[in-house]
Amino acid sequence: MDTPAISTENLTRRFGEFVAVDNVNLRVTPGQFFGFLGPNGAGKSTTIKMLTGLLAPSAGRIQILGLDLNRDPIEVKRNIGVVPEGMALFGRLTGPEYLNFAGRMYGLDRDTSAKRATELLEFMQLDREPKKLITDYSHGMQKKLALAAAVIHGPKILFLDEPFEGVDAIASGTLKAMLQRMIVRGATIFLTSHVLEIVERLCSHLAIIHQGKLVAQGSLEELRSGVQAIAGAEGAGGANEKLTLEEIFLRTVGGSRTDDQELSWLT
Amino acid sequence: MADLTPAGASPLAPNTREQLSAIANIRWSIFKSSLRTMRGRMEFVSWIFIAFWFAILGLGGSVSLAAGTWFVISHGRTEWLPALFWPIFAYWIFFPVIATAFTETFDSANLLRYPLRYSTFFLVNLIYGSLDVSTVVGTMWLLGALVGAAVAAPAYAPWSLLAILAFGAANLLLVRAIFAWIDRWLAQRRTREIMGILFFVAMIGFQMIGPLMARFGRRHVQLPAYLTQAISIQRFLPAGLSAEAIARALHGEWLFAAGALALLAAYAVLFLFVLNARMRAQYAGENLGEAAPRQQQSAAGAAPFSGWRLPGISGPVAAMVEKEARYLMRSGQTLFTLVMPAVILVIFRISANPGRPHGGGIGPTFAFPFGAGYMLLLLSNLIYNNFADDSVGIQFYFLAPVRIQDVLLAKNIVHGAILVLEIVLIWVATRVLYQPPDAALVAVTIAAILCAAPLDFCVGNILSIYSPKKHDFGKFGRQRASGTTVLVSLGVLIVIAGVVAATIFLSRLLGGLWVATAIFLVLSIVLFTLYRMLLGRAGEFALRRREELIAEIAKAS
Repeated sequence: MDTPAISTENLTRRFGEFVAVDNVNLRVTPGQFFGFLGPNGAGKSTTIKMLTGLLAPSAGRIQILGLDLNRDPIEVKRNIGVVPEGMALFGRLTGPEYLNFAGRMYGLDRDTSAKRATELLEFMQLDREPKKLITDYSHGMQKKLALAAAVIHGPKILFLDEPFEGVDAIASGTLKAMLQRMIVRGATIFLTSHVLEIVERLCSHLAIIHQGKLVAQGSLEELRSGVQAIAGAEGAGGANEKLTLEEIFLRTVGGSRTDDQELSWLT
Repeated sequence: MADLTPAGASPLAPNTREQLSAIANIRWSIFKSSLRTMRGRMEFVSWIFIAFWFAILGLGGSVSLAAGTWFVISHGRTEWLPALFWPIFAYWIFFPVIATAFTETFDSANLLRYPLRYSTFFLVNLIYGSLDVSTVVGTMWLLGALVGAAVAAPAYAPWSLLAILAFGAANLLLVRAIFAWIDRWLAQRRTREIMGILFFVAMIGFQMIGPLMARFGRRHVQLPAYLTQAISIQRFLPAGLSAEAIARALHGEWLFAAGALALLAAYAVLFLFVLNARMRAQYAGENLGEAAPRQQQSAAGAAPFSGWRLPGISGPVAAMVEKEARYLMRSGQTLFTLVMPAVILVIFRISANPGRPHGGGIGPTFAFPFGAGYMLLLLSNLIYNNFADDSVGIQFYFLAPVRIQDVLLAKNIVHGAILVLEIVLIWVATRVLYQPPDAALVAVTIAAILCAAPLDFCVGNILSIYSPKKHDFGKFGRQRASGTTVLVSLGVLIVIAGVVAATIFLSRLLGGLWVATAIFLVLSIVLFTLYRMLLGRAGEFALRRREELIAEIAKAS
């Protein structure tokens, strides 16, 4: 059996009395485009921060490519690329400077780093203004640069926290094309997003976290048939129709559209 | 669903008092929440310590001003009143600009999303923005002056109250207007850079006034004319007008007194107008984002950019050194820090008075050690708050396959390089301005710095992790270290000064400066070893405190 790309055992994170992530057992196989979903405050960001070393777990174990993150953090980080929530950019560097810096921090030599930085800037169409400071970049440009920095060392696993947030359709297209090419070449991608349409189109496998607990995990088809089976058993509608990811998500986390609810004072 | 609208109240025009009370409540809640963390509690303790000294300053000044005003009025020497009022004005206006570490900054821009009336927005800015030490201390001093005036001439107390109230209002509005406009200029990088240069030039110019006056002023026989002119001009400025209003009233010249008060009120209105113009623009939701206008696009396919090669330093550390150096060179504040020791030597050279037995200023003998000591003091701002400028980039250190001690090492290398550069600069400045510094003195100074630097790096690395503070160059007063860091750095400075003084005293007893040099070198080896040991631990500390560190440094501006 293959060593999982990402696996967690009883991963837990407490903030005082509050349990943000509760005994999560994740398993992501190499080569999967894995979507990690959950409502706001469900524990998505906390989980991805723990998986990438930005946050220490209160309990549990994280293994990345068979390596224990707690015991061997440097080796784990060598194999992963991350676009975190804040993008981890240095505003007072230019794009080429930042990519060079990132490459060398990930252990590339100067020449390789410079060569890949140039290629990435061209690919991301960020090569027109090499002297421009990152602080002057638009949000979309910053997202593209953050992704370029995350892949400069050729990571085996890529963690993306809301990569399409605030990105226009053109930039989004570039990012999606690049991610799909990485999957074809055998990389694993772990992605969180609120845009369910994008997740549905890109991801082959999913996990849903709700109130800190993992409530579903599997391929999109597995999740769909699971939800449909429950709906059938309960005699609810939708047992025979093909559910969208949004419907699967809402039924899994127990949410419902509030079309029938209203606030009397709201015009 | 229940109707949430209170009876009789319009939901779209909320009560101003309710809003002010809500803001007060939220600030109180923020303060209480801050006490839940160790860092917050330490900040609070530092704040109490600082507040204690400012309370002494406020009370001491208040009593002195009460006594001074009473004396001047009761002895009929009202021409000296301006001399009492001008220091209040100078402190109130200039202290917050110079000492940003003790300046309270309140950003009301976040409140704009709520349906605040303009008057509420303005009031909130004025009230919360005024809760800083300069306003509190200035008000205490004015109260002291009022008590002195009222005791000396009880019949004129209401008039004195009016004049002092108008003076206080003018000061308050002026300082808020200055802050508001500085914030406007700091909000954009280009204007921020221009502002930085102007501020730097102004600061140097300000420090040059005294020495230049001392050096060249005495050569001119018409010096009293200067003074007379200055005195006549000051009478038309707020502090002078307030004093004039009281003095003229005491002499029964009510027309002039009323004129002075009216002019003072006009100043207050003018400052109100200037502040109002800024607040109106903020209220209207002006966009002062960082995004620069689209630059002319250069040809695609620019030459590959290669990073620095630093012999003997590993790739990641070299990359960090390069990043730090680029960051520092793009910071006007750092360039200011770099040239200041040489500038201060120029100032002391100008103030040297050949007529006096010891020449005044600092003598040629101590110019080099003085400059070096001053440089160490200035660099503490960089060394003690290592991550301040990294912003969201700090996440990168914890995501990349590097040890945090390597990140700290790179930052220390850059700071060490600045230190070396500074020593050379100070040596050149001493040689040019005074004379070549004595070799024994140079050796003992360098040895003392070699001793102080690892200690500074040790404490600086720990404080950078345990008491970090994000620099926000877009807001006035947000480039400071935390209160805890300021206090600890002062403590370390006192320890260093004490050890240096004791060692030099001992070496004088034992036969010469070379003894002190040897002691410092031995100490520096010990402290460097300690630094190496602590660097590894600092990496562990940083990992343990990564959440708090990232939360502070990467927080939104």
